[in-house]
Amino acid sequence: MAEQVISPDLNFVKDIIASGGDTLKKCFQCATCTVVCNATPNNRPFPRKEMIYAQWGLKDKLISSPDVWLCHNCNDCTKYCPRGARPGDVLSTMRQKFIQENAMPSIMGKVVTQPKMTLIALAIPLVLFLLVLGLTGHLRTPEGQIVYSKFFPIPYIEAVFMSAVGLAGIAYLASLYRFWNSMSKGNNQPYTKGIVPAFIETLIEFAKHSRFAKCGPNADRRIVHMLVFYGFVGLLITTIWVTVYYYAPKINTPIALSDPLKWVANISAASLLIGGVLLALNKMKDKGFVSKSSTFDWIFAIMILLLCITGILTELIRLAGIATLAYPIYFIHLLFVFYTIVFFPYSKLSHMGYRALAITYSKMTNRDIQI
Amino acid sequence: MSDIKGILIIGGGMSGLTSAIEAAEAGYKVSIVEKNPYLGGRVAQLNKYFPKLCSPNCGLEIQFKRIKNNENVTLYTLAEVVNVSGVEGSYDVTIKVNPRYVNEKCVGCDACAQACPSERPNEFNFGMDKTKAAYLPFDYAFPFRYVIDEKSCADNCKKACLDACKYNAIDFNMKQETINLKVGAIVMSTGWSLYDAAKMDNLSFGKAQNVITNMMMERLASPNGPTKGKILRPSDGKEVKNIAFVQCAGSRDENHLSHCSYICCLASLKQATYIRELYPDSKAQIFYIDIRTPGRYEQFYWKVRDDKGVTLTKGKVGKISEDPATKDVIVEVEDIAAGNKIKASFDMVVLAAGMVPSTKESTCGMNIPLTDEGFVNAPSLQKGVYAVGTLKSPVDVARSVQDATGATLKSIQSMVRR
Repeated sequence: MAEQVISPDLNFVKDIIASGGDTLKKCFQCATCTVVCNATPNNRPFPRKEMIYAQWGLKDKLISSPDVWLCHNCNDCTKYCPRGARPGDVLSTMRQKFIQENAMPSIMGKVVTQPKMTLIALAIPLVLFLLVLGLTGHLRTPEGQIVYSKFFPIPYIEAVFMSAVGLAGIAYLASLYRFWNSMSKGNNQPYTKGIVPAFIETLIEFAKHSRFAKCGPNADRRIVHMLVFYGFVGLLITTIWVTVYYYAPKINTPIALSDPLKWVANISAASLLIGGVLLALNKMKDKGFVSKSSTFDWIFAIMILLLCITGILTELIRLAGIATLAYPIYFIHLLFVFYTIVFFPYSKLSHMGYRALAITYSKMTNRDIQI
Repeated sequence: MSDIKGILIIGGGMSGLTSAIEAAEAGYKVSIVEKNPYLGGRVAQLNKYFPKLCSPNCGLEIQFKRIKNNENVTLYTLAEVVNVSGVEGSYDVTIKVNPRYVNEKCVGCDACAQACPSERPNEFNFGMDKTKAAYLPFDYAFPFRYVIDEKSCADNCKKACLDACKYNAIDFNMKQETINLKVGAIVMSTGWSLYDAAKMDNLSFGKAQNVITNMMMERLASPNGPTKGKILRPSDGKEVKNIAFVQCAGSRDENHLSHCSYICCLASLKQATYIRELYPDSKAQIFYIDIRTPGRYEQFYWKVRDDKGVTLTKGKVGKISEDPATKDVIVEVEDIAAGNKIKASFDMVVLAAGMVPSTKESTCGMNIPLTDEGFVNAPSLQKGVYAVGTLKSPVDVARSVQDATGATLKSIQSMVRR
């Protein structure tokens, strides 16, 4: 073999250990993990090699690897690990780090993902909304029937949130592009399938959540993840639908409970709530082996729950007709909506894009498992 | 020396035997308390020693002879220590002796076994075959005296055995006895048992018929074993031509035994030579995390490694399953050097299961300081009590024997210095 120069990044090793992968150095490379994993390919399987790359500080090799993202955190590896090295948690920590590393602009990745920055991140929309509503004289409880657009007029909402979506979208696409570049250059594997069919296959797989079905000890996650995933999909559809109603048939909010839009909205909210609660319970459940969730993961779970609960309360309190409570809750709900959208590229939610690209790439390079 | 009390040796395996002989030949009274109906322990079950590949029976038989001819030795078989009180120099020991139902008149003629209509699973061969309810534990067992498994012997069986014995050696009126001994020092040499391989649910022991343990392999390869030394697989008695060894089956694993059992690498290398010598067209593959052959044993490792019929593959086996049609065993492992996950099929698979210290079962009525793994924490033992060999850490036979000699000296010093 030709001489190879490796450049260990010791700070990366320390960072992984400090951010949830504290057991990294316990790994003694027995490869039990790669065998018990049902989601790993036969050719250059994970996570054994990722464990030694991380021990050696080979960040470049890992950040450009699709394998870190092919891992679905089933934790078969952690359950059978003879050393308590918890490969599942270590790879989860790596994903968290690579979300930060790939983030555009880089400063956002470093700042927003810090757990202690959560409150400051929420303060940004708070100040922004207070300014918008204050300057336009809307910072008061409107009279009469509760109609949220009387408090926060639709054009303002659109102005604020459209620009939020736009900025976040651009940042997210740039981050994903950065990842795709490093992955395709770093691995340099010949393609046996085009990107379009591979990507479509990936989307179909996402819809069915078929990869989660491979999980051993953590099989419940398939249902939980599906509930959260479809909750978000449903709410995205609802949001677009509302906009269509507003412009096309000129149907204004609040929309009648009998409207199909409202059905989709309420079912999605329920799905997200149930999924979110189960997600949190699942994290706390004793699975018969040690597996820890990082602060990063917990903040995500809590934010999802708060987003969902404030949203449901917004609707329920409006229906109950308690104006003094309804508008403040709506205001708080909007803070969480803003938080979720603007910080999407830097939060755990962004794993969706990275994972989609990694699976697409593994399909293109003929390294995918039988799903 | 008449005021000096004797030494109690708990466990009559290779360590206990050695300790007893050394003390007895130095003029001290010893009492051996052995749980089994025979002496020799684990060594008696082995086919060959590593690295010389000689049979343990020659060494064992010499030890048996030395014991037999020494009047300083009192032997209690089928016996267990249940309580110990006192201090260094003066211990009161209570032992329970279970009935053998065969007395010292037995000449080992085999008539009772031939007449006996009942059978029992043979635990000496790990249940791979059966013996009659009246049986000799193994062909050169010491004491050379039959045993009757009373639970497996109904009234008609008892009658048949009694009728067959011409020497009045069978006595079903024997009862469990409690015996009190006064001793000056205690040598604990209760050894080890094999880790229960069924606890590793991914390795399919007890589910796949042709997955056996390393100790079962010793019995299969032994001329006095269930297959008379032919290595035949359990499912269909086929000659095993393609065998895999799974190292660290339970050892070095926090979920099972966190310690390295020390002998399993050498045992598997040795067992690979059994099959390679018996069937020259056979192949053996050893899957390992690290091959640990300390000191001079390294040369034995090289010898086996250089055999073209033996393949060593780095990677711990994570899954084992059975082909339902052929009963072949399918092993899944990552070949770390190649970086690929492989599935390979074998006639039979041997799990290199590890050593569990016997303290997990019993500490012989004493308060014994233990390590996290359950071995005896020797430096913290009270004066007058000495632990030997595999009770302190996993070791091979040679080191157990050396350690036993040392323990004898320590117990003699303990009694003489007061």
